[in-house]
Amino acid sequence: MSSSFALAARYGDFQLDARAAWDAPATALFGASGSGKSTLLEALAGLRPEVRGEIVLGGRRVDGLPSRTRRVGWVPQDAALFPHLSVRGQLEFARRAAASRAGRERARGDALERAVEVLGLQPLLARRAAALSGGERQRVAVARALASDPDVLLLDEPLAAVDRPLRARIVPFLAALPRATGVPMLMVTHDPHEVAALAEHVLVLEAGRIVAQGAPRDVFASAEVLGALEALGAENLLDVVAEGPPDGGALTLRTARGCRLVMAATPGFPLPARVAVRAEDILLAVDPPGRISAQNVLAGRVAMLQPLGAHVLVRIEAGGEEWVAKVTGRAAAALGLQPGATVHLVIKAHAVRALG
Amino acid sequence: MDGATLLDILGLTLKVGLVSTLALLVPGTALGWLLARREFPGRTLLRVLVTLPMVLPPVAVGLLLLRLLSTRAASGRLAESLLGGPVLLTWKAAALASAVMSLPLLVLGAEQAFAGVPRRLEHVAATLGASRWRVFARVTLPLAARGLLHGSLFAFARSLGEFGATTVVAGNIPGRTETLALGIYARIHQFQDEQALLLAGVSLVLALASTWAAEVWLRRRAR
Repeated sequence: MSSSFALAARYGDFQLDARAAWDAPATALFGASGSGKSTLLEALAGLRPEVRGEIVLGGRRVDGLPSRTRRVGWVPQDAALFPHLSVRGQLEFARRAAASRAGRERARGDALERAVEVLGLQPLLARRAAALSGGERQRVAVARALASDPDVLLLDEPLAAVDRPLRARIVPFLAALPRATGVPMLMVTHDPHEVAALAEHVLVLEAGRIVAQGAPRDVFASAEVLGALEALGAENLLDVVAEGPPDGGALTLRTARGCRLVMAATPGFPLPARVAVRAEDILLAVDPPGRISAQNVLAGRVAMLQPLGAHVLVRIEAGGEEWVAKVTGRAAAALGLQPGATVHLVIKAHAVRALG
Repeated sequence: MDGATLLDILGLTLKVGLVSTLALLVPGTALGWLLARREFPGRTLLRVLVTLPMVLPPVAVGLLLLRLLSTRAASGRLAESLLGGPVLLTWKAAALASAVMSLPLLVLGAEQAFAGVPRRLEHVAATLGASRWRVFARVTLPLAARGLLHGSLFAFARSLGEFGATTVVAGNIPGRTETLALGIYARIHQFQDEQALLLAGVSLVLALASTWAAEVWLRRRAR
């Protein structure tokens, strides 16, 4: 059963204008934080009346319907279990609530039992929400959603509240869901590894727009998505050796490719072997800057420009290294940045951070 | 003061307190929910009106009630027909005065209680298919129960001590409208300090007992 949406809303400076259509048992809605993923998911669940547009879920048009009759199994990031009910109580609540809503004949009367089985909840049924671990809470929340016999599961970062070592234990449950239950799922995530592990189809959301979609393997190879990936942590990582002891609070480093870099020295700390510079901490100048406090000025050549929402990632070759700088679209236009153009990277000594 | 008189006073005080609190429970909870969960024009005005009895001198509230309950006013005649007989100078007037005076405590307590229930849980319940009423009865209300009980307890305690408004509309007729607070005041005036102290002690025991009972009940529920 195919699903689609075409939605728009405005929140101050942020504009949501997203459209996509998909028909896969397991779909990921992928994007960096602040890209509007959760808002979009909540709009699908009918919890964002200010978001306007068309929504089709599992072949059924649902915009204009209240949350109650959309038949969505929405699982918010924090699981949102009812604190006054046991695990069994949560599931029974969902079953009764779903049975009470008007709608088509019920096809899956055993939704609750199946959810308990698929998510392995039998030993937990008598427990209260407060007595569950993070991973257990997520499983209960998913089972509760399934017990309401939904047309589609909407999972908001199902692994975000789960401690990293425990994630490996909940991933198999999630991966098995669409096949075991027959309920397609749309899962919000900012982790490309989760997309690869759990989804057959991925929608890439960036600054309120769907910029790419398709099979994860194809999508993650495309340039637009590279931008979204970079935005999660566009860092310049460099292996370095110190050229001597700190002098006047500054430590001179040499990268593996021979680029000389000055960083602010922290007294008492060991000399770094690896440093990082954030893409947004790099200043670009077309003309060589004159007298300036920044300790690093590197002449280089623009290799590539990647638009990233309202910003631009500029890839630069300078001092034998490849650099990524992040500037606003306006700055890129004002400087007339083009591939092949000469630029000067300006990096404060304090923007060079030791990693180890 | 013999034992029968003391029992009369105690019984009447409890009756007035329970009746006024129970009568407030549904409208007060509804008002609290409205203030916590709904945006509507006049919400601030409603909140101001609800808190008015808390900031006005109780005697002034009593005076207003006296005017409203007077059989010369239409509201007074309506009250008589609704409550089945004369209201002024009866225990009904005392209960009404108590209810008005403790309304703010119950409503503001209920508002706090409802405001403390995460919207997210109500949203989840709605997506699961629950009707508004089911969401309220099975999610919102149980999660607000503790705060509601505290609000009711405060309202009850307030009515046990209500004096200013009650004395205006109910007078202080021994055996008919004499509550603990009125009884204490009357005995101070009659230089019966020991009896006044005895009644004050009874008030203290009553207040402690009701607070303690509520705590026990809440703790049992939390398990």
